[in-house]
Amino acid sequence: MIVAGLDIGSTTTKAVILGFGQGFGGFYSDSMKPTGIDMPSVSKEVIGEAAGKVRLSFNDIERIVSTGYGRISVPFRTREMTEITCNATGVRKLYPQATLAVDIGGQDSKVIKMDASGRILAFAMNDRCAAGTGQFLEGAARTLGVSIDDLAKISRESKRKITMNSTCAVFAQTEIVSLITGRAKTEDIAAAVHEAVANRVYGLIRSVNPEPAAQIVMTGGVARNAAVVGSLERMLDREILVPNNPQVVTAYGAALLAEDLG
Amino acid sequence: MKKGEMLTGFKTMFKHPYRRAAEWKRITGKKVIGCVPMYFPDEMVHAAGALPVALFGSGEPISHADAHLMTNACDQVRSTFDSLLKGHYDFMDGVAALHVCDQVRFFIEVWQLDRPFPFFHQMWRPFKMDGSTRPFLLKELERLKSSLEKLTGNQITPQALRESIESYNESRLLIRAMNDIRSRRPGILGAADTARIIAAGMLMPIEENITLMKQLISVLEREAIDGSERTRIVVAGHPCAVPDADLLDMLENYGLSVIDDDLFSGGRRCATDVILENDPVEALADSYMNALPCTTHHFPSAWMKSGDDHSPYSDHVIEMVRKGNAEAVVILRMMYCDPFDLEFVFLKKRLEEEGIPFLPLVTQHGPVPLESLRTRVQAFAERLKTHL
Ligand code: SF4
Repeated sequence: MIVAGLDIGSTTTKAVILGFGQGFGGFYSDSMKPTGIDMPSVSKEVIGEAAGKVRLSFNDIERIVSTGYGRISVPFRTREMTEITCNATGVRKLYPQATLAVDIGGQDSKVIKMDASGRILAFAMNDRCAAGTGQFLEGAARTLGVSIDDLAKISRESKRKITMNSTCAVFAQTEIVSLITGRAKTEDIAAAVHEAVANRVYGLIRSVNPEPAAQIVMTGGVARNAAVVGSLERMLDREILVPNNPQVVTAYGAALLAEDLG
Repeated sequence: MKKGEMLTGFKTMFKHPYRRAAEWKRITGKKVIGCVPMYFPDEMVHAAGALPVALFGSGEPISHADAHLMTNACDQVRSTFDSLLKGHYDFMDGVAALHVCDQVRFFIEVWQLDRPFPFFHQMWRPFKMDGSTRPFLLKELERLKSSLEKLTGNQITPQALRESIESYNESRLLIRAMNDIRSRRPGILGAADTARIIAAGMLMPIEENITLMKQLISVLEREAIDGSERTRIVVAGHPCAVPDADLLDMLENYGLSVIDDDLFSGGRRCATDVILENDPVEALADSYMNALPCTTHHFPSAWMKSGDDHSPYSDHVIEMVRKGNAEAVVILRMMYCDPFDLEFVFLKKRLEEEGIPFLPLVTQHGPVPLESLRTRVQAFAERLKTHL
């Protein structure tokens, strides 16, 4: 059986392909691409690419579970499931002890609280606002004139603490501009931006009232940003586990659920 | 009449909330009083020969009200005020409100300054309901009685008031019967339809409402739906406002069936009768003293029994869950409704303690941006293992 998990996020579309069953021995493949406006075509391409890596094609996929904000846009899905269920499934497969999943994507952030058996107890998502998401970081990087990949590195040089007052992504841009004109250093602003994102996510984490001893796993594009992860670890006073490829964990969970559909 | 036709009829009534009241006024030449939700004693207005209609605002985008109100006014208040400024209430003869919260008080005072109506009445009902409350309410009811008598020129006799109370009790009984059918056979009546039926009942003469409800119930009783495969949930929260129909439909499209609720346009409206033993004014006062726990009033006697953080309101929601054999609660939080926000803290804690899954959704009056809520609702349904 060959199945795919397809996570159509606001910024990036990710696919994970799993092969299992007799004669296969099991295999894994993934791929991702910017989402764009034609979600069905991009999704087909991403699945095709991931399939190509294991010398298969789109047509070889027997079941597809779609997830993410574009999950209902692909007519070829076998089933659609929310990113909450898919993310929790992926996280638990990678970290069977995890009881708190934090996923920060391009335009949304979510926190999922689970019990010891992996059952979802509560979840929270950011409300109609891009603060505390990848988009916030991207906007800030653009205003600062640095690449998003360098933002975390630059912030490591920070020596002076600046606190950002705006919790709204749009107002934050204005605040960054005024900090730049006020001759604040780029690295200090970058550090403040990370702190602001971490602050929002921290609020979201608090809203699900996590167990003090919860094992925390962070996924999504922003989990690759060491500065945000570090800030959050300091705020929570706990270690946060980040998988090798944090962006595809939700798609991986979708693929696992596709496997279970049978 | 068929069920579909009846439901369409209620839908149309709710879409044009004041059409019937304006027509009634044209035909009868009598007075129409807009009553701000919740808990205004409609019986008294009815006994004075006037028509009480609930002011639910409208589903229209809010464009006029924000220039007059604070931006943190709840959406129910904003929408009602917006409807006023757009002239939707111009045909009415007056406005009346019970002091459910400070927001209501402030906004109707702004109303009276901005657009004075010939009749304006605020009935005070304390937040804290203790030994001093009943005599106070009696005075308030007498004050309301005389101002309505002055407006209409009709004397509110004990007999007239008694008859009005009986009619309203009958309508409450019928709503309870409808809700009971819904609970026994989930899926027979959608949550959006139920809310619209109850809300529409507050926009027409009570006698018409009674006739329609009787017809509806006999139609429902003939229907063969048992809905036993659906996940039973309770909807709580959302004081005053009628929740967005699309949002309620969305819950049900994901396999969740609302079997009971705590809405003003729902179970709360019909929960307790006015018990007529002696004097009808006293009976009305007693009905406030026996009201269900609510986020807009509290009884220190019940509260102090079990300590500072005891929440009778949470008990009430949990009881609905247990009695209705429900699996979960969806909590509709109207933006900026501070009475509910304060109680939400206790409710959340209690539901967690009881192990009852719940989904809080922050909603707005009027069209709700559904896409932002869809993932939450679907994930909640997945969690409850429905719609898989
Ligand atoms: S919805 Fe809440 S804040 Fe608004 S009028 Fe009702 S009780 Fe007051």
